[in-house]
Amino acid sequence: MIIAEWKPIPELVSMLKGHKSVLLVGCATCVAECAAGGEREVETLAPLLRMALKTEGVSVEIKRKTIERQCEWEFVEALAGEIEEVDAVLSIACGIGVQALSERFAHLPVYPGVNTTSLAIREQPGLWTARCAACGDCVLGETFGLCPVARCAKSLMNGPCGGTRHNGMCEVDENVECVWNLIYERAKARGELQKLYEVRRAKNWSNSAHGGPKRMLREDLRP
Amino acid sequence: MSAVEKQGEYQPEIVVLYCRNCLTPGIDPPSGVLAAGGIVAKYVPMPCSSKVEPSHLMKILERGADGVEVVGCPDGQCGFLDGNRRADKRVTRLRSLLAEIKLGEERLCMNRGTRLTSEALFALAQKRARAVAGLGPNPMKGVNR
Amino acid sequence: MKKMNAGTRLERVVAAGHFALTVEIGPPRGANPESVLKKAALLKGLADGYNVTDNQTAVVRMSSIASAKILLDAGLEPVMQMTCRDRNRIAIQSDLLGASAFGIKNCLCLSGDHQKASAAGKLKGHPGAKNVFDIDSVQLLAVLKGLRDEAVQEGGDSVDQAVPFFIGAAWTPLSPPLEFRVHRLAKKAAAGADFIQTQAVYDIAAFARQVAKAREMGLTDRVAVLGGVIVPRSAKMLQYMNQSVPGVTVPDQIVKRMADAPSPKQEGIRIAVELIQAMREIKGLKGVHLQAIEAEEILPEIIKAAGLSPRPSV
Repeated sequence: MIIAEWKPIPELVSMLKGHKSVLLVGCATCVAECAAGGEREVETLAPLLRMALKTEGVSVEIKRKTIERQCEWEFVEALAGEIEEVDAVLSIACGIGVQALSERFAHLPVYPGVNTTSLAIREQPGLWTARCAACGDCVLGETFGLCPVARCAKSLMNGPCGGTRHNGMCEVDENVECVWNLIYERAKARGELQKLYEVRRAKNWSNSAHGGPKRMLREDLRP
Repeated sequence: MSAVEKQGEYQPEIVVLYCRNCLTPGIDPPSGVLAAGGIVAKYVPMPCSSKVEPSHLMKILERGADGVEVVGCPDGQCGFLDGNRRADKRVTRLRSLLAEIKLGEERLCMNRGTRLTSEALFALAQKRARAVAGLGPNPMKGVNR
Repeated sequence: MKKMNAGTRLERVVAAGHFALTVEIGPPRGANPESVLKKAALLKGLADGYNVTDNQTAVVRMSSIASAKILLDAGLEPVMQMTCRDRNRIAIQSDLLGASAFGIKNCLCLSGDHQKASAAGKLKGHPGAKNVFDIDSVQLLAVLKGLRDEAVQEGGDSVDQAVPFFIGAAWTPLSPPLEFRVHRLAKKAAAGADFIQTQAVYDIAAFARQVAKAREMGLTDRVAVLGGVIVPRSAKMLQYMNQSVPGVTVPDQIVKRMADAPSPKQEGIRIAVELIQAMREIKGLKGVHLQAIEAEEILPEIIKAAGLSPRPSV
């Protein structure tokens, strides 16, 4: 899923100052799963925002709505009625949702309420960790199903740097496992260590953001 | 009109959300409003402190309560394994958000207790009232009614 | 004698079978060349190569290329360090061509410390920087080898002539997974490394076991491995390194020696000399890489006491 986290509330307050009425919009998909932008978070953030604005001496009406998915036009369309009554939108969906709303309702400012950070998995309750960097050139077949692009702090392709701690954690963050240590362990368990001995040449990054904004076209699916 | 407004003089309004299992067995669980000793305590009994939702706690403050006191069982004594600890963690996070918006983290707190009497519960409300005394009335009082 | 790759002094010393010595000169956090020149004057003639770090620990310092050029002009042969953190393959290759044009021929290829490290100490650093890591250290070795042996860039275009480099890499022999470390060395050798400078070693026995494994695999004949020595300055520093620098284990008795010493400075010098002498006894090791972090003035004494002075003429 796409994960995101709340922006600091003072940052939101400074965005909303000067507006009369704002629609706070949640998304019931990825950001709900990561407890940042679903209905529960809308219901918590709305009173917090009202109180924060009040303590700043500002009066802004905060309306609330959560839709199934902010990244699909059919669901976004359901906001058309509420949008009429506000002069700004605060979306706590991922960056895709924020942009879908601002594209559909281009006459209004649509502010991001969260910072979108990663493609991640819920590793444990309350813990989400990155799994994919959308690099456009998947290597998981050669790295035993563990991604060094997303999970190594240096995106190394040829094994661990010298910074693997004695407990197998990463030198950059003691709470993050050295993914190359994990890859090694899995390769060893499968009896396929020799696969890691091959030198992997420089990667082609052009099928990701590095190649310019991604555009995927499927003629067979076009109207 | 709330009890606070009737009297015309500021009396901190403290909402006490408590787990029924914290009480002395056999006593009547306090509920409703008790105005005494310069404060107004509003009791909300719950089957477990983990019933507190972040959105509920924020709405209580948004509606003008001056302080919210969550009362749960001591560590290891939750009838639902670790409902009390989970409530505590939620309260901790919300306290930091209340600090962030400068409403004051002391407006929300969790305490633990066992075999509590009605008086002990009221004493916790008074303790919360003292903690928020320096913050003055909740600025949300009377807004959005 | 085998054909020279770049013919640097370091390469010739290793080829002639002498025990090589490299030291480190950290560039200043500023534009004044004086501090580089001062260190150069202190250490000139004492080593076969002088490592110039590339924004070590991600802290902004004078560029390794410029600092290496200053050393070269002062008559010292630099080992220019090049990391993958701050440049993509385009910038790296461009910088390599520029360095070569200046006459810089030793290059140590590193992935580089993460930018978060820049704020780990007393400095603010640039933890908010965007890193690059377009290629990693092994791939960087291959880039240098391509430029040198085939006069070809990573992308396949040619350069007008082969670019002579004596290609170096780092090795952390004692980080987990221990069993993989020697294969990581093999990968670096296969990708193009001519020489290796290791992470600082205090546990000689464990290091000797890793070098022995490398020797069994024929690696010590293919690459010249120089053992890393960092001069201890205090028991506290050793404890810090033991706990916080991955790949460094410091045996208790060395920490105790520093803690009990009436003069930690003199004890540190003695330990450094002993480490060098112990490394000379490790079969397959071709030299040492000696560092005295921010205390280069004690290096001449250590080099003399370890019997590494004068350097052989090659």
